[in-house]
Amino acid sequence: MNTVSTVKRYEVAGMKCYVCAKAGKDTEAVGICIVCGMGLCMEHAIREDTQVWEGGYPFPATKTKGKIPRILCEECRTALKR
Amino acid sequence: MVTLVKRAVAECIGTLFLVYFGAGAAVITLMIASGEKTSTPFNVGIGALGGLGDWIAIGLAFGITIAAVIYGLGRVSGAHINPAVSIALWATKRFPTGDMVYYVFAQIIGASLGSLLFAASVGMDAVTIGGLGATTPFPGISYLQAIGVEFIGTFLLMTAIMGAAVDRNATPGFAGIVIGLTVAGIITTLGNISGASLNPARTFGPYLGDLLLGGSNLWGFFPIYVIGPVLGAVCAALFYDWVSKEE
Ligand SMILES: [Zn+2]
Ligand SMILES: [Zn+2]
Repeated sequence: MNTVSTVKRYEVAGMKCYVCAKAGKDTEAVGICIVCGMGLCMEHAIREDTQVWEGGYPFPATKTKGKIPRILCEECRTALKR
Repeated sequence: MVTLVKRAVAECIGTLFLVYFGAGAAVITLMIASGEKTSTPFNVGIGALGGLGDWIAIGLAFGITIAAVIYGLGRVSGAHINPAVSIALWATKRFPTGDMVYYVFAQIIGASLGSLLFAASVGMDAVTIGGLGATTPFPGISYLQAIGVEFIGTFLLMTAIMGAAVDRNATPGFAGIVIGLTVAGIITTLGNISGASLNPARTFGPYLGDLLLGGSNLWGFFPIYVIGPVLGAVCAALFYDWVSKEE
């Protein structure tokens, strides 16, 4: 259990950009797409603010005051926009 | 949050459905049982064919409609569809005064429209035989007993709402089904005692419909269905706040 998490943490620390890797480039990742989990470099990471609703029955749902930022890859962002 | 007008419309439509399907089930039961010879005066027709099963059927018609309205409109208005619930949330400072007043009016209008629409759907037998599913104390049940029964029933309903929905630690997503089934269970036991209204609007709608369409004038019983449910819901909300608070 402990070993697994240690290994994982090491891997994340050394993660490369998946989009760049596919194109044959070797670029350090600066973030991870929250949906699909791919590593993303500064060029390929998209940081977007998302409006979040909270609450519900027996109260009307309300928008949170602040928006919540999240990091996405291009593919996931396109898929979520639909 | 959507505008107060839209939320009031949601409450109106939700309560309309509650009365149309819930009180409507009581009307249909009476119409089906019409002409049956009942064994005791306590049996007014609901129970003539299926015993307590008649009340389970009516209870489930209410309960399933409540679940549908909670899942359908809960995020829009909160889906109280019951003045006792809105007042209890207001009394425990969870709901603003202005909103509460709007909601109660919307619920009463919705319940009245629900009764009239049901009469239009079924015809005058719904009024003359079914009484539009109006609640009254059953033979042998006193005014005070009926108030007590409505108090106890609404106390359980509001306790379920507090624990399954209002409490921050409630498991999300279950409130609708739990609260619907709670109402079904309460109606099964209390239906043949006080009518198991648990909701001033649910009684107001059929009472107004009966009055407008030439049915019985039952308004003398109306205080039962205001005092019992409102006190029951408010006491349950206060009780829950006290009993769930860590020192
Ligand atoms: Zn890249
Ligand atoms: Zn992605």
